[in-house]
Amino acid sequence: MINDVNAIVAKVFSIPESEVNDQSSPENIESWDSFNGLVLVDELETHFKVKFTISEITDVKNVADIKRHLKNHNVS
Amino acid sequence: MKIAILSSFTLNGLSEILHVKCSELGIGYRSFVAGYNQYAQELINSKSEYYKFSPDVTFLIIDIRNLLGENFFFPYNISDNERKSLISEKINHLENMIMNFEKNLNSKLIIANFNIPSYSPNGVLETKFDFGFHEMIEELNKSLRDISKNHNSVYVYNFNQFISKYGEKNIFDYRQFHVGDIQIALNFLPQFGYDLMSYIKPITGTNRKCIVLDLDNTLWGGIIGEDGFDGIELGHSPNGKAFVDFQKELLSLWNQGIILAINSKNNFDDAMNVIKEHPNMILREKNFASIKINWNDKAENLKQIANEINIGLNSIVFFDDDKLNQERIKHEFPEVLTVELSSDPSYFSAILKDLNDFNVLQRTEDDVKRGEMYAQQRERKEFQKSISNLDDFLEQLDIQVKMKKTSEFLIPRISQLTLKTNQFNLTTKRYQEEEIRNFANNDKFIVGCAQVLDKFGDNGITGVYIINKEDKVWNIDTFLLSCRIMGRGVENGILSQILIDAKNNGIEEIRANFIPTKKNKPAENFLSDFGFEKHDDYWIYKLNNEIKLPKHLKVEIE
Repeated sequence: MINDVNAIVAKVFSIPESEVNDQSSPENIESWDSFNGLVLVDELETHFKVKFTISEITDVKNVADIKRHLKNHNVS
Repeated sequence: MKIAILSSFTLNGLSEILHVKCSELGIGYRSFVAGYNQYAQELINSKSEYYKFSPDVTFLIIDIRNLLGENFFFPYNISDNERKSLISEKINHLENMIMNFEKNLNSKLIIANFNIPSYSPNGVLETKFDFGFHEMIEELNKSLRDISKNHNSVYVYNFNQFISKYGEKNIFDYRQFHVGDIQIALNFLPQFGYDLMSYIKPITGTNRKCIVLDLDNTLWGGIIGEDGFDGIELGHSPNGKAFVDFQKELLSLWNQGIILAINSKNNFDDAMNVIKEHPNMILREKNFASIKINWNDKAENLKQIANEINIGLNSIVFFDDDKLNQERIKHEFPEVLTVELSSDPSYFSAILKDLNDFNVLQRTEDDVKRGEMYAQQRERKEFQKSISNLDDFLEQLDIQVKMKKTSEFLIPRISQLTLKTNQFNLTTKRYQEEEIRNFANNDKFIVGCAQVLDKFGDNGITGVYIINKEDKVWNIDTFLLSCRIMGRGVENGILSQILIDAKNNGIEEIRANFIPTKKNKPAENFLSDFGFEKHDDYWIYKLNNEIKLPKHLKVEIE
């Protein structure tokens, strides 16, 4: 399940999945702006059937953070 | 198609959604999206980038939070009089922007109205306060509605109803709002875009005029050929009620000018018996402009329906419960909108009401009567078949032509006819309402039109002429006839009457012009057949010649 994250990140930011890893972040993905960040939240919530809190959303600095928060929502 | 989006909050993604939806319809798309909360500057400054872009349609979407500011949270910190003056100040602000828009652009402005929140700090006492929080917003919405009634180019998009339809708790996501000032949740943007397409479709002529319907399991439950008159479901059972409901929604569209037709595989007599005699049938024979009940291929029938009614296949929506028939039409005629009906008739009404394809931005008296007129047309054709001689047919039609000078009430219809008549049109000059009004107010011009009636009913205003007067000569600037009444000699009646009128005014000759186009062949020989003679570029009729009125029709002057 949690491995689906990379594919979702790739889809939202229109990049090949092979370029996505735990260190992927707004620093190294050009299309990761604040708006697309919210689109990503929406896609993740729909896919994993979870709701993030606002502090989780603003705390995310890279893909590893996303996976850490998903684990807190019991996604494994 | 140039589209501008002006909003008071983040609407990223909306333009992309509209772009995709336009491309699907084959509409070229260019957009201007104003900077964040820049709508007022763009509208007030006549040199703004927005005005330079010169859009065909502008969507102005202002959120009530942005408009009211702190007063949104503390409406009861000020007195009712202060609330009143606050709202009238906001209305002035909106009106000022609209006036600037009208000064700078000659296109359409769509303003979203305001969401009335379900919450009030006053709780259950909300309705007891003078000019309370909710009443303030209702007043704004009412004012917007009044403005749109008085300004032809302004339309109100009912954003408040959009919220009711999908739910305030779904549309407004507090996290998206606090993170990115997003006031329409991202996953509802497609629905929002779909609603806005309701305006783009009529502007681009991609709206639809006609619904073609199957019968068995579409207008009633069961199969008439197998279940029989008493066996079909229509009226009392739960399924039967759903079909009645669906028929009522169809009738209500017909009342607004949408044309209905039948395309069904059945024995003609069995099916017509239901349409004519079934006590719970809502739609009757008179509601259908074309009835194809036979065992022929449905695609072939559909083509014949389009020919008979004289509309394009791209004006047609096709309703049929059978998946195979849906596929057949989708494959043969992709330009037809084939609806994916669910197998449960309970949803038919909702599916019909979700379509945004029947919108028009202007509806004349004649449009409303359209469904009826097409059905009368079908009766005329059937009558014609029963009489072999054309002259006898015309004689027995009892045609009456009422000639009318233009009036404010007739201007929209006259303009509409010049804009869309292609076949019987001598010069194919297109005139907006404003131009017709200018001609009407100019004593060098005559603007007239003709209403045509016969034994089957009223065909409405179906002929238009515009004459440019000189001292001894009248020039026919425009002369056209709606395709609805072509082939009945009405044109000769109208022209004869114009000639008589000219002669009575001491005019010596009438000049006319035929400008050929790809479509106006039906009018090609009109002038020469009537007795006009060609001189250089003009056709001329000397008024010392005798003027004959066609015998088969009565012409009245109003």
